Amino acid sequence: MTSSSQDKTPLLEIDRLSVDYGLKGVSLRAIDGVSFALRAGEAVGLVGESGSGKTTTAMAIAGLLSPNARVSGGQVRYRGNRLPIDDDAAMRPHRWSETSVVFQGAMNALNPVHRIIKQIAEPCMLKLGMSRGEATKRGSELLQLVGIPADRGSAYPHELSGGMRQRVMIAMALACRPSIIIGDEPTTALDVITQAQILNLLGDLRSQLSLALILITHDLSVVAKCCDRVMIMYAGRIVEDGTVAEIFAQPKHPYTRQLIESIPNPASGKKMIRPIPGDPPNLVNRPSGCAFHPRCPSVMGGCATEVPSLNKFGRGRVACHLHRSLTQEDKVAVHA
Amino acid sequence: MSDNIVRYCPRGRARAIKGFLRQFLSYGGAQVGLVCLVFFLVVGAVPNILAGPLQTAINATGDFLAPPSGEHLLGTDEIGRDVLNLVLHGARISLTIALLATVISLVVGTTIGTTAGYYGGRVDVWLMRLTDFFFVMPSFVLALVITPVVLEVMGRGGEILGFRPSLFVIIVVIGMTSWSFVARIVRSQTLSLKERPFIDRARVAGSSNFGIMVRHILPNLVPQIAANGALVVASAIYVETSLSFLGLGDPLQPSWGTLLSLAQRAGAASAGAWWYLGAPGLCVLTVSLSFVLIGSALDDTFNPRRRVIP
Amino acid sequence: MPDTAGILRLESLQVHFPIQGGLFDRVLGRSVGAMRAVDGIDLNVGRGEIVALVGESGSGKTTVGRVITKLAKPTGGRMLFEGRDMRSVEGFSALRPYRRRVQMIFQDAYQALNPRHTVFDIVAEPLQSLRLVGNATQLADRVSEALAAAGLNPPGDFFARFPHELSGGQRQRVVIAGALAVRPELIVADEPVSMLDVSIRAQILQVLVDLRDRHNMALLFITHDLPLAWLIADRIAVLYLGKLVEIGSADEITFNPRHPYTVALRNATPQIGGNAGRAELPALQGEVPSAARVPKGCRFHPRCPLAFDRCKAEEPPAIEVGPQHLSACWLAK
Repeated sequence: MTSSSQDKTPLLEIDRLSVDYGLKGVSLRAIDGVSFALRAGEAVGLVGESGSGKTTTAMAIAGLLSPNARVSGGQVRYRGNRLPIDDDAAMRPHRWSETSVVFQGAMNALNPVHRIIKQIAEPCMLKLGMSRGEATKRGSELLQLVGIPADRGSAYPHELSGGMRQRVMIAMALACRPSIIIGDEPTTALDVITQAQILNLLGDLRSQLSLALILITHDLSVVAKCCDRVMIMYAGRIVEDGTVAEIFAQPKHPYTRQLIESIPNPASGKKMIRPIPGDPPNLVNRPSGCAFHPRCPSVMGGCATEVPSLNKFGRGRVACHLHRSLTQEDKVAVHA
Repeated sequence: MSDNIVRYCPRGRARAIKGFLRQFLSYGGAQVGLVCLVFFLVVGAVPNILAGPLQTAINATGDFLAPPSGEHLLGTDEIGRDVLNLVLHGARISLTIALLATVISLVVGTTIGTTAGYYGGRVDVWLMRLTDFFFVMPSFVLALVITPVVLEVMGRGGEILGFRPSLFVIIVVIGMTSWSFVARIVRSQTLSLKERPFIDRARVAGSSNFGIMVRHILPNLVPQIAANGALVVASAIYVETSLSFLGLGDPLQPSWGTLLSLAQRAGAASAGAWWYLGAPGLCVLTVSLSFVLIGSALDDTFNPRRRVIP
Repeated sequence: MPDTAGILRLESLQVHFPIQGGLFDRVLGRSVGAMRAVDGIDLNVGRGEIVALVGESGSGKTTVGRVITKLAKPTGGRMLFEGRDMRSVEGFSALRPYRRRVQMIFQDAYQALNPRHTVFDIVAEPLQSLRLVGNATQLADRVSEALAAAGLNPPGDFFARFPHELSGGQRQRVVIAGALAVRPELIVADEPVSMLDVSIRAQILQVLVDLRDRHNMALLFITHDLPLAWLIADRIAVLYLGKLVEIGSADEITFNPRHPYTVALRNATPQIGGNAGRAELPALQGEVPSAARVPKGCRFHPRCPLAFDRCKAEEPPAIEVGPQHLSACWLAK
């Protein structure tokens, strides 16, 4: 069912993944039947607003779901093998050596009382069984790889700037030679110029180490800069999936289109802001049918009742009733 | 439009309070604590109805140190007074002392802590040195020094604000030695609160320093004050018990501590009169414990990290 | 009289924060230096004008906003509001007339709202503190009016709500309503949309633009986002390390930047549709230095790809490079 039409197995397959959060005895669905495939070396952007489920998707893939989350359906396969994403202990050998995560708040993720070289060397010793000397050497190499002079390794996290700390986080993520890096809003807290530096670094590392990249962000323009493919999420589902060029030139889903239009773009030359009315949905009372229908300008009869399935459309996928008549598979609607 | 204020705002408050109570009462500790506390408050409010007027050596009704029986449910003391009667009357004295001392401690502690934290600088330094002074001062020593002075000035039979001098001294001493603890907590909380952007917003909105302290800082201190207030009451009961046990209480208005002290002096322990020591002791323990339980339940309720905000 | 057409005028405004030295320094009476957060800024905001102050973190943009709203004290220069120097005006009652006319919108609406106050309390606070209403009826009317103007309809539904019961966009609208309620003539908006979801941003910007159009309100829009500044502002001022490096109309700064820093900022901003057709300049290295160690000469020279000897020695003045377009660079014409 996924878009794995290629004959060779994709690096990572996410197959109808659903995750629920237990909150005061109520179960809330954070992501609902998310399916996509990632090929080796591919860079995919997962874009959505708060509550869209983009971070939950990423954390599920990395096996880092919070204790009150439960995988209620679907699976994640790495090179064809199912990952035990809901089992913390069984996931341990996979974490950092297959997928690793670069988090947003580098200051919180680094231990303030240890020198950064030690923090980078630690996973090498634990995961790769290196001696202290080897691990320190590898740590220095990693630091240079991310553009930090090796002699800065003796610094403490608070002595580094925000951009430097984010580089350290990237170095740590690379320590066990993963094939997939998940960036969870890795540049959100950074200034524009530093953000550009970090995005360039991620791009360079990707080609240098043939890494696959999953970039979680709310910022479409970041995706435009450094991803091949982009998936737009809304209220826990993927609503559109396509190449960066296609999506920005011809967005199919009304949400995608409005999202693009609400970003100021001097290149377009026109000063126009078209607000999307209403608020992003929250998990507690998700709208029926297509979750976007209360805010959608092209809403039609079936939108409020029937959940549109994510169908192939051109070279990408789109989940919208506007585009359903063009496919054969529209009867395979996913039910909430 | 004007009725909107009347109509909507209390409703918002009422809803908030209702939500708070529901959350608070969902803790088992809070329920146990509240039940115990209400029981003792009722007892303390109407001891005369429950056990008759306070017994003295003159109107004592029983034998000396008689064990519990149908007539004297908790036995009698060394001069034949009913222990149940004494304990019920003691509840009134003990709770009054503890609650009043706590009020003093919270008012002084909050005022000093908020002022020091909000203004900072020199004000902070001096107020905190003062706080340190009271922090290290032992309540016993202070009581031992003040009591004779007050008694000398007032005479044993006098009355201050409706209290007998020795009770008044105990209230003041406990209040004075426990506020520094509150002041420290309030100050540290104020320090972090005053850096919050809503304080900046209040300033841009034209609020005075006093207005900011009263409208913005104080309401956000309620959790700390309430939770720690309950703990202050618990410790005040202990301190009152200890002070009375050392003989600084008023024998004519016996508190639980005074009773323990009398029991000790009467040799209740060696005579095997467990009821005489046990009854007031258990009361002290129960009331302090219920305040501690309420305090920690309040802390849990107010702590935003344990409260899920959708 | 200085420019009377403008509502606010900053003249070589300076905010230096003393650096707390150790006990040793204090005993020896040694000066440890200062954080030069704002280091001589000239800026004019006209009535009904939207001026964007663009800079990275550490550029001093927030401090400028705090000085204008009298939350921070300048250490030098003048701040003229309708020609009157507001620097020496202190104390909440003396500031009351000023605060009735100058208000602020904060970045993080969640933090800027007292969690224990209802929406009504929040919006009513400036009206009461600034003594703008006589009775409860008036108060309720003004609060409703402000909430409606900020796009919270019907206003009555929001009166009794607490901030945590609102969505992020609604919270920011409450902050805006609080500022609007006093009908100010100038609003300082410090990154008002940076914490909001993309789809909500446009709604909030629309509210701000409407205010200007309807009430001729001036707006100082502080942001790190150049395209956003272009979208909303009439003029853009670019700030680097406490000093304005370039100022001009929004289109001039966006399409014809004359300072290498503005160019770098523009190039670094990722854009949909690619970054094609831009003047090629190598990407900037390093990060903004600390305001405690401002480089000599042009403060941008250590990172500037075009720097030459003069930049290291002399600080360039603001040179007029076009109509109303100033750039502080030796290479600007």
